[in-house]
Amino acid sequence: MSAHPNSPALQIEALQAGYEPGLLIVRGASLTVQSNEIFAILGPNGAGKSSLVKAVAGLVPISGGRNLLAGRDITRTPAHQMVFQGLAFVPQTENVFVNLSVAENLELAAAVMKADRRERLDPVYAMFPDLHRQRKLPAGQLSGGQRQMLAVARALIARPSLLILDEPSAGLSPKLVDQVFAKLREVRDSGVTVLLVEQNVKAALALADRAAVLVEGRERIVATSAELLGDARIAELYLGRHTGRQASKETT
Amino acid sequence: MLQIIADGLIIGSVVSLGAIGLSMTLSIVRFSNFSHGELLGWGAYLALMASTGLTALNAGLAAPIGPFSFGWGLLIALVVSAGLTALLALGLDTVLFKRLRKQGAITLVIASFGAALALRNLLLFWQGGVPRYYTQNLQIAIPLLPRSVWGGLRVTPDQLFVLTLTLVTVTGLHLFLSRSTLGRSMRATAINPGLARVTGIDPERVLRATWLIGGVLAAVAGVFAGITVQLRPTMGVDLLLPLFAAVILGGIGSIWGAVLGGLIVGLAESASVTVVGAEYRSAAAFAVLIAILMVRPTGLFGEKR
Amino acid sequence: MMPDLSGWLSYGSFFLVFAGAFAIIVLGLNLQWGFTGLFNVGVAGFVAIGAYTSALLTTPETAGRLGGLNWPVAVGMLAAMGVTGLVGLLVGTLALRLRQDYLAITTFGIAVTIQLVANNAKGLTGGPFGVQFIPKPMQAWLGTGLPWTLAYLLMTLLLLAVVYVALEKLVQSPWGRVLRAIREDEDAASSLGKRSFAVRLQSFVIGSMLMGLGGAVYAHFVGFIAPEDFLPILTFQLWAMLIVGGSGNNRGAIAGAFLVWGFWTAAGGLLRGLVSQADQARAAPLQVVLIGVLIALMLVMRPRGLMGEALAVAKSRT
Repeated sequence: MSAHPNSPALQIEALQAGYEPGLLIVRGASLTVQSNEIFAILGPNGAGKSSLVKAVAGLVPISGGRNLLAGRDITRTPAHQMVFQGLAFVPQTENVFVNLSVAENLELAAAVMKADRRERLDPVYAMFPDLHRQRKLPAGQLSGGQRQMLAVARALIARPSLLILDEPSAGLSPKLVDQVFAKLREVRDSGVTVLLVEQNVKAALALADRAAVLVEGRERIVATSAELLGDARIAELYLGRHTGRQASKETT
Repeated sequence: MLQIIADGLIIGSVVSLGAIGLSMTLSIVRFSNFSHGELLGWGAYLALMASTGLTALNAGLAAPIGPFSFGWGLLIALVVSAGLTALLALGLDTVLFKRLRKQGAITLVIASFGAALALRNLLLFWQGGVPRYYTQNLQIAIPLLPRSVWGGLRVTPDQLFVLTLTLVTVTGLHLFLSRSTLGRSMRATAINPGLARVTGIDPERVLRATWLIGGVLAAVAGVFAGITVQLRPTMGVDLLLPLFAAVILGGIGSIWGAVLGGLIVGLAESASVTVVGAEYRSAAAFAVLIAILMVRPTGLFGEKR
Repeated sequence: MMPDLSGWLSYGSFFLVFAGAFAIIVLGLNLQWGFTGLFNVGVAGFVAIGAYTSALLTTPETAGRLGGLNWPVAVGMLAAMGVTGLVGLLVGTLALRLRQDYLAITTFGIAVTIQLVANNAKGLTGGPFGVQFIPKPMQAWLGTGLPWTLAYLLMTLLLLAVVYVALEKLVQSPWGRVLRAIREDEDAASSLGKRSFAVRLQSFVIGSMLMGLGGAVYAHFVGFIAPEDFLPILTFQLWAMLIVGGSGNNRGAIAGAFLVWGFWTAAGGLLRGLVSQADQARAAPLQVVLIGVLIALMLVMRPRGLMGEALAVAKSRT
């Protein structure tokens, strides 16, 4: 799996996607995520953030545009082959196998990649010592924060070049959010590009290097976190859409 | 009383093997397959054809092995039938169910109902309605306990064979599902199909394996029913209600649940013969079904779906 | 070969009465499934209950068997609706809270059990021989020939028309609007709670009553019924009618009934023509295979049927 040198980790070009052919949720979004950075996708409810990353991961049907992973076109790649291409996706909910133990969750991920169990699990356990401690526990019995860690750990078993997360802070207390986000920094530092969708703007901008704001299926602003933190337009885009009526449902 | 239990275990073995396949289909393919019973019927009859054909080639194959009523011919025929029935199950999916998956569970159920009718009547057309048997060899029941002890216990060698092989099959399947990657992938898909996909599990491969395994188990169950009772074109639909009762009793997706459910249904049927007479046997399975639906609809070992 | 007009009329009337009885049943099924999303795979059982109830109440006394009260046909038919409605109430109360495919399995089990009882409880249902000499209404005035057949056809079509109009009114009424709301949005349905369950149960009961009525119409036309008239194949034929016509649409349900019944009899006739005398009995199963294939093709190629909506009840938003 040789990446083109100097290729961005992920290029999304004019992507159109939606569950039903006539009802697009992602309407021509374009983004570039550089290698080794943390990139956040923000935006109001219904903007299509989740759908965008799910489309990249192969879970939502794409009707136009393309996605390049390190220069390789993965637009038509089926969801289950993404891990073999170097893309690992962490869903927002139900992101661990609750009936299996922590160890079984991780071992399954390794087995599916036809990889050596020890070789894959040891580094992950090293990064997540709490999970190693609880490895025999059924995943359903983990606390919310630990479950999220397991979800991330499972994705890392695949040794991805790009890790995508859908609202990793959802349902977690601020303290746990800090823990998870600190872990994501560790992940980035180990050489993995991180792309996350987030509702928690403050925490996301504290974590990410760059971010994009998605509104009604297209990107409106793309900038560094520092620039966005000081930007009045974000407030306008959020508040303007949130007070009174919902984001307008344009029929296309 | 012991005899009722023993007879119930025999019936239960057949139901268990069929129920495992049905439970797997229900948890992975996610619809109630009303044509699953027909796989048992076809499995039994395909083995009959194969066995007859083999015996025509080599009469020695019909010679009974030891105390059993059947010869090597039937055992080979069982393997052949298992393969063919597996292909039948997969073929049915490819031709029909696969094309309807987007339309949802209800369409699939109706389609499976139609497929069941078509399969059953094809069998009826091909074989006629008269009951058939694998061999004409009579079996002598071995008295294991005299009548003074709990009513006595007599089993035939064939019945012991069926019980033992069922246990072996189920154990083997359990090992496969818990140790092999494909087996664990199947379990993961049953628990959480979306997560299974992003973990790298190919859903089509899992589906194919489900149909194939279900077909194999159904064929074995059908042959066992043919050995211990008889072959009839309606044997599939006669077993359908007991199969569903066993699956729901055990909890969808649980192999051991299906086994336990099958045994309980078998015991219920066996017991009902003494209470309400043999004609109402199927109603016993229905009674079990109603009972579990009222008390604990998720079944004994139901896994989160 | 001069066409025998009265023969054709007679054959045509037979066909239309059967189709009409089926149409009434399918309207009931449509109410349960098309309008309420309740998946009843035991329709044949409900039809049997209606047929047997009316038959047992209206036949003259018969030795060794219950019933034989010699009641008027009209009362018998009303009783058929009542009893079937009651069974629908019992089944619905038990099974409506279940998942859809559990409801399917439960209703299937009920049909199987009813068939078992019909076949074995000689004292109640006459066993495998069923019930004979079921009185035909108006026979005192019209005799037994073509005039009676035509009159019965008229009665059947009138009943069908009344049922259709009543159902259409029901569906447009406030009650029907609640039903539609429940169907469209499951979240709203669960917030309605008890009311949602009550409305769905009422729909199930009314649908059951119509199935019983259809069974009674059939019984009083043919004059004798047996357990083998109510096998799973009947359930499947009725579902086929609903699918072909299009669920959620009452006109579609009626059209489907006539069309599928037409296809069924045509297929039967074709097979009988193609196959030699000796093989007739053996060829009968092929008729079933044909209709099974028809339904499969229909589902794959045109799931909406001729006039209906998609079979999926509520679209799930992921």
